Amino acid sequence: MPRDSEAPLPAGEASLPASEVSLRAGGTQLRAGETPFWAGRLPRLGILLAVVAVVLSFPSMAPSPYEITVGIAILNYAVLSTSWNFVGGFTGYISLGHGGFAGLGAYGTGLLVTKTELPPFAALFTAAVLVAAVAVPVGYAALRVRGASFVIVSIALVLILLLVFQSWSSFTGGSRGLVVPRPFPGMLRAEHHRTFYFLFAALLAAALLVWWIIDRSRFGMGLKAIREDEDKAQSLGTPTYTYKLVVFVVSAAFTSLAGGLYALWFGDLDPVFQFSILSGAYMVLMALLGGVRHLYGPVLGAVIVGYALEYSKVEFGDTPLHLVVAGLLLGVVVMFMPDGVIPAATALLDRFRKTGETSIREVTAAELRERRGQRNGTEEVRDSERSGSGSGTGTGSQT
Amino acid sequence: MPSASLVFQSVVLGVLLGGLYALLAAGLTLYFGVMRVVMIAHSAFLILAAYLAWYAHRETGVDPLLTLFVTVPLFFAAGVAMQRLLLTRLRPATLTMMSVLLTFSVALVIEGLLGYVFSGTQRRIRLDYSSAGFEFLGARIAAVKLIAFGMAALALLGLYALMKHSRFGQALRATIQHREAAQLLGIDTDRVAGYGFGLGLATAAVGGTALALDTTIYPSLHWHWIGPLMAIIVVGGLGSVPGAAIAAMTLGMLQSLLQLELSTTWAQTVFYVALFATLAFRPQGFFGGRLAQRF
Amino acid sequence: MSEAGAEAGPGPGARPEPEPSLATVGLIKAFGGVTALDSATVTFHHGKVNALIGPNGSGKTTFFNCVTGMIRADAGRITYRGRDITGKPPHRIARAGIGRSFQLCRVFPRMTVLDNLLAAVRPSGLAGQLAGAGKREETERARSWLARMGIEHLERAEARQLSWGQQKLLELAGVLMSEPELVLLDEPAGGVNPALIDRICELVRELNAEGRTFLIVEHNMDLVMSLSDHVVVFDRGRPIAQGPPSVIQSDERVLGAYLGV
Repeated sequence: MPRDSEAPLPAGEASLPASEVSLRAGGTQLRAGETPFWAGRLPRLGILLAVVAVVLSFPSMAPSPYEITVGIAILNYAVLSTSWNFVGGFTGYISLGHGGFAGLGAYGTGLLVTKTELPPFAALFTAAVLVAAVAVPVGYAALRVRGASFVIVSIALVLILLLVFQSWSSFTGGSRGLVVPRPFPGMLRAEHHRTFYFLFAALLAAALLVWWIIDRSRFGMGLKAIREDEDKAQSLGTPTYTYKLVVFVVSAAFTSLAGGLYALWFGDLDPVFQFSILSGAYMVLMALLGGVRHLYGPVLGAVIVGYALEYSKVEFGDTPLHLVVAGLLLGVVVMFMPDGVIPAATALLDRFRKTGETSIREVTAAELRERRGQRNGTEEVRDSERSGSGSGTGTGSQT
Repeated sequence: MPSASLVFQSVVLGVLLGGLYALLAAGLTLYFGVMRVVMIAHSAFLILAAYLAWYAHRETGVDPLLTLFVTVPLFFAAGVAMQRLLLTRLRPATLTMMSVLLTFSVALVIEGLLGYVFSGTQRRIRLDYSSAGFEFLGARIAAVKLIAFGMAALALLGLYALMKHSRFGQALRATIQHREAAQLLGIDTDRVAGYGFGLGLATAAVGGTALALDTTIYPSLHWHWIGPLMAIIVVGGLGSVPGAAIAAMTLGMLQSLLQLELSTTWAQTVFYVALFATLAFRPQGFFGGRLAQRF
Repeated sequence: MSEAGAEAGPGPGARPEPEPSLATVGLIKAFGGVTALDSATVTFHHGKVNALIGPNGSGKTTFFNCVTGMIRADAGRITYRGRDITGKPPHRIARAGIGRSFQLCRVFPRMTVLDNLLAAVRPSGLAGQLAGAGKREETERARSWLARMGIEHLERAEARQLSWGQQKLLELAGVLMSEPELVLLDEPAGGVNPALIDRICELVRELNAEGRTFLIVEHNMDLVMSLSDHVVVFDRGRPIAQGPPSVIQSDERVLGAYLGV
């Protein structure tokens, strides 16, 4: 079975997030300015470079073009779920309709190439801009009211797009499908796959980079505050509606790029697959499974779910059972590990090496006054407080 | 320009269709009312009930209507179980979002199982009275459509009476309006919410049987229903049963009238246009305020 | 209006003529058939510790939610230091200098204590938005607020791990981090032990002395009477009395409202 040769990719990726977690603590310390900057970053950078090396060398290690297509499919899923995670991860708003943006990006690119004869990659980016423009009114309607109506709009978006693209066959090709000409006409099949593998990898890198920039920015802090408590965020002065809308549009644009690149690679579009609720659900599943709060969470989820999908397609063909499996998996994730496998795994680990440290304690007013007195002299209070935490605990005012 | 009789026929068909929409939207509204849950699997259960009716009819030849005696209690129990065993275990802070995913996953499982057991083939019940019909002021109405409407109307009336006049209905309404206050009144809101969920799912059983009478069914059909139904509950103002009923009738009729001029698929977009327009211009819904929860 | 500046505490309020802070004219809000605010016209004083009291259900929290833009009033006008803020969204009102706490203390549960404060930083411009959160100066400012609350040793803990009292202090620190001129506190002493109540009172006095105006909704009468300069009493959605604590304490209508006479 040539499939064995794929082991490096998932294994390499899977080992990453666990260490990512332990390094996160280093990251926060870093911000606190108490550890030298390289202490947290160096191992992290090493792992990142190793994974990048594995990802980039994968095409030359793959025994046949088939493995590369599996790699492309997984990368495509990774871009999609990372793009989804701009909304889902930062704001906590669950969109089931991102399949619609991917489909719009694919059809937008395909139609621009076929109807206006724009160069393929110009069409790709033009389509992304157009989809971003479409996302503005959609987001406007979806984000005005909180919670339930966002989900409803997101589902409705896919359903309406499916209706339109199936019915408007004179323009979209309808159910007959739309053939997108290859961007590199002279290229051999294997070379075509290899090229797109790297294009998808580059797009993934770009999506991850932007997610990372937002994650550590003040904008990202505001978005996360929305996820935690939207009223509270607003009362602290965060323009929550604008924030949500902006990140929604960014998310739609990246999703569109993934869809458009897929169109250029695959070359054949069918509305049923492009505007499928299921593809949106897969994005949610992947991101949730990997962990929406982590940069690499959706990528990890995409590797797991994407690999499983491609595997079962080969092994069991296309049966309705994949719906059952996807449904059960999604249900299990939602019920038992809504934060994804990374926190679930760390929680399990923590249970094994549980320290006796009781980290939080209540402080009495007398202690507070005392400490305030101390602070006037020196800034070292924090450490002395820590060491003295054995006494006077449990005066909790919790009622 | 379509003739007057054709328009009239469309109006009648729209009313008949609207009745079914209203019943199903009432179910969705119940879930939302008691739990703030958008129940995506509602229409999947609808199709499941239709399949059960079709299967019972094919295997034993019984009238599909008789399956109601099995499916209604069964779905009620399933609804209670779903609320108690699944939804109450979600974190309250993220309940709305996570419950959508959970019910979505239930819908996927149902669709997948239906496809696996019954295959993706389109199915339709053939009854002796399938082709029966009559003329009414120039409009031709199929008997099965009228039966389906009658079932929906009866179920909706029954639901209304239950909500309005029974002790349980009072408790349910109190729970919907103000959960904490209901608890202070000594109402076991968890249990009531469970029964509310059961009632909601029972509407899917009735609706599914009605649907099976005159519609071709296939496993993925539920996606064609959930969109319009969600649009209806938003237009009606989330949580308002009368609002949902009025929106269902209005939009059902509009859809039916638009079919005169447009294709069936284009006519369906009326729901989504209404949905977007509502959220953009009047997010609290058009009939009864948002969470107006009046009966 | 008889404002006795000498009445309470160490406020800076030796000024003879109180400058209006938050003020409403004819504020109305109904929920279904229930009128929560019934043409409420009130003025609070700039630079003072104001208190809003009243029996349960008298519309105090609704008033808070209306003036902070959380819910929209059906009618009426809200001004802050003469500027009309009626119908403005909550974040604009926050940026106008009004910060608030919530009735049941609300913090960002799964953020660290430090991030809870950094989330209150208001960046401006694209570059400001995309700049890394927790710049040195911001972090220092956040730490100093945490230190002032006495919870600086918890800065890396997740907020949900904190005790109730610590969360109350964290919420207050978060509000102060957003640099409000006027701080609205919704039951700051609710569910808090007596020692911590003293601490919170002390903080309010200090912060008031530094020039911040306070508006406090509170059930603890001892606290209200000892802390505030100006008290407004609500009953059935409208003010029935306003004045310094000494006057309010002996007002018959207030006693009536509380005792249900």
